[in-house]
Amino acid sequence: MRFIARFCKEKRECFEIITVYEESTKIEEISKESPRIKTLAKKEPSAIWFERKMQDDFGIIIEDAFDKRPLVHQERFPRDLHPLRKDFKEIQLQEAPYLQYKYEEISGDGVFQVAVGPIHAGIIEPGHFQFSQAGEEMLHLEVRHFYKNRGIEKMLEGKTLQEAKPIIERISGNESIAYQICYRDIYLQATKQELPLSLRKRHALLLELERTIHHLTDIGFIPNDAGFGAALSFASKLSEDARRKMNELTGHRFGFGAIDFENSFIDTASFHEWLNDLKQSVEFFEDWIIDIPSLWDRFDTTGILPLKKAVKYATVGVIARASGIAIDRRINPFYLEHGFSLASEVSGDVAARFKVRLAELQNSIVMMRNFLEEDDTKLEVTEIYDGEYQSFCESSIGELFMAIDIKDGLIERFFVRDPSFMNWQAVHIMMSSDIIADFPLINKSCDLSYAGNDL
Amino acid sequence: MIKFWNKRVKLGVITEKPELEESLKKIHKEIKENVKKKFAGSLAIRMVDSGSCNACEAECNALSNPYFDLERLGIYFVASPRHADVMLVSGVMTFNMTPHVKEAYEQIPSPKWIISIGDCPMMQAPFEKNYAINAPVTEHLEVTHHIAGCPPNPVEIMEGFLEFLKKI
Repeated sequence: MRFIARFCKEKRECFEIITVYEESTKIEEISKESPRIKTLAKKEPSAIWFERKMQDDFGIIIEDAFDKRPLVHQERFPRDLHPLRKDFKEIQLQEAPYLQYKYEEISGDGVFQVAVGPIHAGIIEPGHFQFSQAGEEMLHLEVRHFYKNRGIEKMLEGKTLQEAKPIIERISGNESIAYQICYRDIYLQATKQELPLSLRKRHALLLELERTIHHLTDIGFIPNDAGFGAALSFASKLSEDARRKMNELTGHRFGFGAIDFENSFIDTASFHEWLNDLKQSVEFFEDWIIDIPSLWDRFDTTGILPLKKAVKYATVGVIARASGIAIDRRINPFYLEHGFSLASEVSGDVAARFKVRLAELQNSIVMMRNFLEEDDTKLEVTEIYDGEYQSFCESSIGELFMAIDIKDGLIERFFVRDPSFMNWQAVHIMMSSDIIADFPLINKSCDLSYAGNDL
Repeated sequence: MIKFWNKRVKLGVITEKPELEESLKKIHKEIKENVKKKFAGSLAIRMVDSGSCNACEAECNALSNPYFDLERLGIYFVASPRHADVMLVSGVMTFNMTPHVKEAYEQIPSPKWIISIGDCPMMQAPFEKNYAINAPVTEHLEVTHHIAGCPPNPVEIMEGFLEFLKKI
């Protein structure tokens, strides 16, 4: 039973704690006067972030938790404020006095701490990494995020589904299409409608295109972090081409606003031509990169996430597949009919994650070809019914989970769990046998989202 | 490796040739001249994300792909604020990032400027002001130039840099 998410909803009389597993969902009701729950983290280690988030957002006390530090609320956040409660209405906070955050640290003779972030040396998102070092060896790493917390969950409350769409598109720029597809599924559930096959194909095509762009960027950046810049030049050219294709199809380079219920014209001939070129380029790239021993010397056995730990931490997506877990939201008849094949490796190291990306890239090209068709189907959307809806989608990082409650036509509670939220919690395990200079490479091989994680 | 060199010879230079796009040519020339005149040939930029969706970052990364290759015009993204002339701010200035953004700005040696990028810092993106958002950035820092767009594409960013260079 794979753990997926754990979150809180405020009802009129009580708090509901929802725990989502792969095959079942558990609902626990707790009183508002003394909101207390028992931790799940002793069995499911990645539940701890969900619980610490609840503690910050709703003021729920996790009785026997081994980690009660704040997660989302940082040093200067006003104490005892719980922004996701319905009675919280402030829109501007005053900075509170600085309260030191206690990092998980290993101490001892000659052991020292290295603090990295939140602002990193490069064009990337902010997050903090705290290393305990014995010389070059990493003894421990604590990943600390939520610098980018924009209060998306609160922002969407009280909006209609239509009003929420432009915000949902912009939660994580790299996964915009995946977020939109999750939103689309919830929209269709709420209107009790079926999606015509041709529209489904178009959306799946865009999702694979987004995956292609993301993976192309990664297969350039991963070798670049191992000092092999030529790969970045090569792959970033391909990803720019793919991004221009996205612009051609949707009118936006990141596909914001692309998932709608109206099929528009696609120039299939030129798209096929581009796919052929891309296929050749990727094959050339693979052939070339596989022949560079010094690169594989860095990739192999670096940043291993063993299968056992990958399962224990309920990892998803590329990371899970590189460690030998067969998990992918695309394992269903629709995708299998269109040429989906699961990419999987067993070694769980940087090399495995790189190879999974390459394999998925090639599979995406096959699938895009199968999804491509000229069509102008339109779906007239009907009235929205109240209810509690959930949906899943396989983004370029991994399984995305979204839950929206609608009451009186307005969003009552919005919750989304980015694949990164699970995977960040497993990143520290990958560090155990490596030196600190390997960290950027390991981090890039996972390429997780900060914006989607922080919300 | 020989395969790669063969490919490279065949592919040639793909950096967008000025003769292909007249407007790009003009931008390139002007940026180069302005950088040379005002920053002695090298303008160093420190990009700081204060809570964006990562699309603006992706577009800034795209500036260094072979099509645009910004560095040949003398504009560099640097790793430390202490090496920078300009801070490029994206995102909505989240409550948690605000102190860090201000600190990064303090670390830049004078004279220094701020360019904001994307619709977020000016609160023109669909995001709504709430407890976690401190934008607009102009309330916290003095912004010299704003590059609009959600996200601005690489050419728009280049045009933005040029406008900034003309302004100062």
